[in-house]
Amino acid sequence: MAPTTRAFATRLASAAAATTTKSTTRSTAACLRSRSNRRSYHSHDHPPPPGAFNTAERQILSAAYRHVPDHGFTHKTLSLGARDAGYLDISTNVVPEGPFSLIKYHLVSKREALAPRSAEIFNAPVGGADGATPDAAAGTRGQLLTVPERVERLTWERLLANRDIIHRWQEALAVMAQPSRVPASLHELALLSDEIYHLAGDLAVDPSWYTKRASLSTIYASSELFMTNDCSAGFGDTRAFLRRRLDETSSLAGVVGSIGQWVGFTASAGLNVLRSKGARI
Amino acid sequence: MFSSKSLLRSLRQSGQLPVHDFLAPALFAPTSRRCISTTTPKSNASAAAPSNQEGSAAAGTPKPKRKPLTKEQRDFLSSALRVNQAGELAATLIYTAQKPPLVNAHPHLRPLMSHMYEQEAGHLRTFNVLIAKHRVRPTALYPVWSVLASGLGWGTAVLGREAAMACTEAVETEIGTHYNSQIRSLLEMFEGWEAEGYEVGPEFRDLVGTLRRIRDEELEHLDHALENDAKQAKPYWLLTSVIKAGCRGAIWASEKV
Amino acid sequence: MAARSGLRASVRGLRASGSIYCRCARPFSTTLHSRYPAPSPADRTKTTHFGFEDGVSEKEKTERVAGVFHSVAESYDRMNDLMSFGWHRIWKDHFVTSLNPGASSSNPPKPQRILDIAGGTGDIAFRMLHNAHVLNSNPDRMLLHSPDAIADNSIDLYTVAFGIRNFSNIPAALREAYRVLKPGGVFACLEFSKVGNPLLNAAYKRWSFSGIPMIGQLVAGDRDSYQYLVESIERFPTQEAFRDMIVDAGFVVGGDGYENLTGGVAAIHKGMKPLKPTS
Repeated sequence: MAPTTRAFATRLASAAAATTTKSTTRSTAACLRSRSNRRSYHSHDHPPPPGAFNTAERQILSAAYRHVPDHGFTHKTLSLGARDAGYLDISTNVVPEGPFSLIKYHLVSKREALAPRSAEIFNAPVGGADGATPDAAAGTRGQLLTVPERVERLTWERLLANRDIIHRWQEALAVMAQPSRVPASLHELALLSDEIYHLAGDLAVDPSWYTKRASLSTIYASSELFMTNDCSAGFGDTRAFLRRRLDETSSLAGVVGSIGQWVGFTASAGLNVLRSKGARI
Repeated sequence: MFSSKSLLRSLRQSGQLPVHDFLAPALFAPTSRRCISTTTPKSNASAAAPSNQEGSAAAGTPKPKRKPLTKEQRDFLSSALRVNQAGELAATLIYTAQKPPLVNAHPHLRPLMSHMYEQEAGHLRTFNVLIAKHRVRPTALYPVWSVLASGLGWGTAVLGREAAMACTEAVETEIGTHYNSQIRSLLEMFEGWEAEGYEVGPEFRDLVGTLRRIRDEELEHLDHALENDAKQAKPYWLLTSVIKAGCRGAIWASEKV
Repeated sequence: MAARSGLRASVRGLRASGSIYCRCARPFSTTLHSRYPAPSPADRTKTTHFGFEDGVSEKEKTERVAGVFHSVAESYDRMNDLMSFGWHRIWKDHFVTSLNPGASSSNPPKPQRILDIAGGTGDIAFRMLHNAHVLNSNPDRMLLHSPDAIADNSIDLYTVAFGIRNFSNIPAALREAYRVLKPGGVFACLEFSKVGNPLLNAAYKRWSFSGIPMIGQLVAGDRDSYQYLVESIERFPTQEAFRDMIVDAGFVVGGDGYENLTGGVAAIHKGMKPLKPTS
């Protein structure tokens, strides 16, 4: 009896420890981490700064990533990855955040894959890639699309990159929603929205910079959640959902923009009327 | 426009005020300072990729050997571009708001105000392009600065010509100092790279060139303000110290958010 | 239960005098002993520090540290409770769960060899074995002794909890850990560290420099030993500096290389011995 109680108590204590330390201390670690690789000056002249993962981490994570469809975003998957990459079971400790690092690996690698994919889609000549002679005058496919159209296309490409692990993604979302993981998860989402707007060629640097990215983040997150329950062929329902959300936002933004224009026009007209009356303003 | 050019020409020939040398130490003030100053809107529009003497010299190097930027350097550069954009936005709005009341009362100031406004608008375009190019987040306080800057411009203009010029003087003094410290930090960065055997690429040579040009133009506005009796504003010291403190606060905040 | 408390007592007694080793079927293996780390002839004349005192020879530090632990051995857990407001138990639990010893991708699980240095009252060792045997059903072996008796490339996991700051030569200790670990093996260290938040730091400094030695005097009648403990924490390098020392010893670290606990009052550092040594 006594040993069982003791074992039970110890397990309880360690479970409590896991939750309490996580919530009180991990959050500061997460903040530090997200601060250390936040969005920052992007040089076109200098080599890029080191990536989010070092060589050993990348070896283990990329090997483990192949086991995600079978074993999910779990410690078991990490161990299998370590074994495949020639490491020991204990070596998974070099991956600082365990299964969450595996989720981050998915997010980072799929985000980074978007740039070459975007070049593939948008730089293709209009006539089609195969056989047709590239017609410089007609431009590329990307040039025929507006920024919102390119944003839709890229967001869809990023959603499609979830295809192989989508049946495991709800588990991952649960991990990402833990209080200590939320800052890092939101940061990754913000980086994705920024990447999409950058690749879509959006150059606005006024307050719409924030509203665009915030609304795209919301739309992406909800479409992703929709996709985890989507059984339609080729995730057609998800794409329709994505398009509806984007259309709603752009019509809302249009209304807000028109109201702003009207207010500005009325104010300046009023000011000019007062000035014409001789008011010294 | 023609009269503003001739005004400027006469100003240049008349020499500089001592305050100018105080703000732009000889180390950072090339003798050709006035030559790289662009005053027409046309050259301002192309200011995003200025190719000055320094830039073209570095471009000829065959094998680029450049050091990755450290986190501190990238943070410095993003907050520098962010605060510069916010500053130029505010300057543009100050002149926009000052112009109608001021020109109404003193029609002879119209060319000078248009000229200064055009330069500020050019600076703002330059930093808008740089911010988008280097993927720096614009300041989150954009709407706040817009309202405050318009209010400041309109308020000082209603107080009178001297107050408006005192406002220009205070703002440009702070901005000139601010650009100088940025240029100094960049040059220190260059020295560090060159000491380690790395080269400085055209991206950064151009950035320093752009900052120097803009700094000189801001200090030119300072000269104009002093010539238009900024010092006669009453109460001068209160007005300028309040505005200067406000500028420093705004710079501090824009570097952060 | 009796065996457990007996072992605990013996380990406590042995903290100062060295360490334990015995080859038997029991999960603990211990040996008699040599004091850690074995100073090389060149090292003998080198000086280090003892608390805030500089210019202490490494040999002298080793002896004086032993003296401190002789005098506080009985109240060692209590002292940790005081320093950390009782949180050290939770940190240790978190330390062990995060390492997850015994977790294995193979079936049956591949046993691991775990070495716990400066094991004190054995509390880390017991947690390790619980995690490995009970949670992961892995017959891991726990080693509690100084590493100079251990062959190269033979250990899976090397842990030090609240001990490394007392070592006379930390870089040498890290090199020794690197030597005995298998390629892919992990060095993990739990230690008092530097508080990041200035407010929390001010309060913590106030507590540790005024409160702890006084309580040491009242509770254990030994102000100097507790003063040393406080000073040794203060002298220990920052999270980043210690992480860099780990990297200098040849380890690779993931992410920032450390995890702060309770705002940095303590920190966990982990390093992995790479498969191929870095140049």
